[in-house]
Amino acid sequence: LTAGNKIFHFGPCRVSMSLTEIRSGFTAIKANVQARDPVRTLSILSHPHSLHKVKSSDRCCITHHLFNFYVDKVFKHCKTEDSYVNRKISSIANSFLSVKRKLEQCREQNKCICGQESKEKFEQILLNYEALNITSAAIKSLGELDILLDWV
Amino acid sequence: EDALLPAPQNISILSTNMKHFLTWSPVIIQGETVRYSVEFQGEYEREYANESWIPICECSLITATVCNITEDISATVAYNLRVRAGVGARRSEWGTLKVFFNRVTTSLTPPLMKVIADGSHLLVELEDMGPAFQFCVLYWKKGQESRMQQKVVKEVRSMVHLDTMEEGTDYCVKAQTYVEAINRSSSFSQTQCVRAQGGTSKWL
Repeated sequence: LTAGNKIFHFGPCRVSMSLTEIRSGFTAIKANVQARDPVRTLSILSHPHSLHKVKSSDRCCITHHLFNFYVDKVFKHCKTEDSYVNRKISSIANSFLSVKRKLEQCREQNKCICGQESKEKFEQILLNYEALNITSAAIKSLGELDILLDWV
Repeated sequence: EDALLPAPQNISILSTNMKHFLTWSPVIIQGETVRYSVEFQGEYEREYANESWIPICECSLITATVCNITEDISATVAYNLRVRAGVGARRSEWGTLKVFFNRVTTSLTPPLMKVIADGSHLLVELEDMGPAFQFCVLYWKKGQESRMQQKVVKEVRSMVHLDTMEEGTDYCVKAQTYVEAINRSSSFSQTQCVRAQGGTSKWL
């Protein structure tokens, strides 16, 4: 196992991410978090269309939107009574913050263009998110992190 | 009312090869056992979670004055840490790091390695330093430094095959570590040379 700090290419935007560290942090709490998800029939990231349908030209923008979404909206509403889970969420949140910063640099350098599709896709994700109460939505989004990690 | 306990002092971090330890000076109270509790705060907590602190349960109410924080320092951002002392129900104020800690500042030491000539095979055995580490191994025929060859070892396995040697020729090897998560390398290890002599290795 290597702590893969891969270089991800989103068009001209190149971002190094410790995806393996994020994934191992998530794997450690995945069962616990998903068990807290009261609404199994809905998906926030994949409804109605999977992330895999996003055009490659829009991937950078969607990725930036999603990392912002998790940092700004999701993690802060995922506090649990379990200290171990909270520590792992902190680990993931700080890693996401580190990546979010790098994606922001790409946006500032116009290397992360947002097309209509990414705009619509992200609006749909927000609609899905806001259709639930905030804690359920946050826990569900955290539980779907592997969908995002697999897609990235 | 009981006097407030003094807060722990000299709080600092020892970080080597991506292993991070928080240390502090003991609080001395005659005839009492003083216990300590440690909490951490990443950049995310400071900027997005109301500057909240997260307890490290392995370092709650401990008597030691050191805490292994490696597992919690798992992102390349600035972390703050704090410690407080306790005797019974009495608690001190929190003592806090003077400067935030980012794992990018960890000190990286050259890897331990052992070079082996197994018959005509040039092998190197590298120290297992954990999943965060890769190795860059350089090897060359003695006297031909200009024709140095390189092998990157991403996953540590007990023995790494470098080359097939010409009999009677001396081969030299040196290695450094590389940590992708912080994009830094150690300095190179000492050079080690061996010569293959009919299946038995001869250290030089």
